[in-house]
Amino acid sequence: MFNLLFAEAFKLRHRLRAWLGPLLIMVLVLIAFPLSIDVSQYDLNKFYFSIIVISLLMISFLATESIFSEDYEDGSLEQIYLEEKDFYKVALTKISIYVFFIGIPMSLIGSVFSFANGVSADELPKIFVVLLFSTLILFNLFAFGSALSLNKGAMLGVLVSLPLTLPVIVLLGRAVRTIQYGEGFLEVLALLLGVGLILMAIMPLIISATLKTHLE
Amino acid sequence: MYLPYVMYLGFFLLAIGWVWGLGFAPQDAIQGNSYRIIFLHVPASIFAQLIYFFMAVCALMHLVWRVKLAAYLIKSAAPVGVIITFIALFSGSIWGIPTWGTWWQWDARITSTLILFIMYLGILTLHSSFSNLEKADRLMSILVVVGVVNIPIIKKSVDWWSTLHQPASITISEAPSIDSSMLYPLLVSISGMGLTLIALGILISRLYIFTREKNKKWVQNYE
Repeated sequence: MFNLLFAEAFKLRHRLRAWLGPLLIMVLVLIAFPLSIDVSQYDLNKFYFSIIVISLLMISFLATESIFSEDYEDGSLEQIYLEEKDFYKVALTKISIYVFFIGIPMSLIGSVFSFANGVSADELPKIFVVLLFSTLILFNLFAFGSALSLNKGAMLGVLVSLPLTLPVIVLLGRAVRTIQYGEGFLEVLALLLGVGLILMAIMPLIISATLKTHLE
Repeated sequence: MYLPYVMYLGFFLLAIGWVWGLGFAPQDAIQGNSYRIIFLHVPASIFAQLIYFFMAVCALMHLVWRVKLAAYLIKSAAPVGVIITFIALFSGSIWGIPTWGTWWQWDARITSTLILFIMYLGILTLHSSFSNLEKADRLMSILVVVGVVNIPIIKKSVDWWSTLHQPASITISEAPSIDSSMLYPLLVSISGMGLTLIALGILISRLYIFTREKNKKWVQNYE
């Protein structure tokens, strides 16, 4: 398992486009947003979360777009299938590595930009944790979308996985409100973590079945 | 063989339910005549969810036991689901004007139903993306099973979130909160729509099975 973890981490490190690209796009989107409105007319810190949440959603998809397709194209998936007949460990490792190398920096970027847009420093750890748990959920769901549309392009992946993420957005909206008003934060956080962990346990199984279908 | 009878009975019940509901049921004390859209909206909303649930059961059968027919039924039920979910959303939107003063509200029930509508379209798009139909069937089934998580969200959305949408008037576990003069035509409408959709579903699946199995001997010998 550790060998697999290192191998996947090594592979991702070399795919600069796969991990640095989404992070830079997130930074650019978050920079572009305040430029596009007249900040004097709006209370920016109240709705800046929305753009962070939406950018998190889109960048999570971008980040996981090629999570399996490159391995499919270079034949690695087929080799794994011939050896192990199962993709559970591969899917679990890949998602964990993506959360570690892309999800954590994304959450940090989101927290830093919230601070830059008027959110108080006390709230930053809360925002970071909420964003991190959300990326855990989103990466699982989008990895599933990516597995479904393996060699059929990003559009199909978005179409099939985006509707599944919308309840998460509702949950995130609630988390943001609890941060703003200071009540019930831990309950929502526990719910986010619970959903994230359940998905982390189940989704690799579903992804494994999906990938097997592609290779059978 | 019995298909035309099921369809005619469905049409007949639907006609009775709608005429009874639109013409003879009393006015609502608060909403006046505008509430009468429930005779279309409520059955459509119920079946929008039931059809997905049916698809999920078929998807499980296809994934676990590899029942080919189950995949055909999913593929045939999905277009019916698209239409009926659209009717539910559209009729709800029309009802929104006199009651809420708006065509659309980003309310939990409405939004989760819209997600269901997109899910149906996503399922059809996914299936049509693969030329290997057996592979398409399995991938579609996996997506249907995963997407079933949206059904309890729709069902419980009015309880979990504070929403404009009213809670369910008819539940299995409790007595209905709707007066019997409105309840009976509603039940007749629901039964009529159910039978009509069953007949429509059988018709579409029959056509689909013939299309998929057109090279098989039994289809060529079929009179």
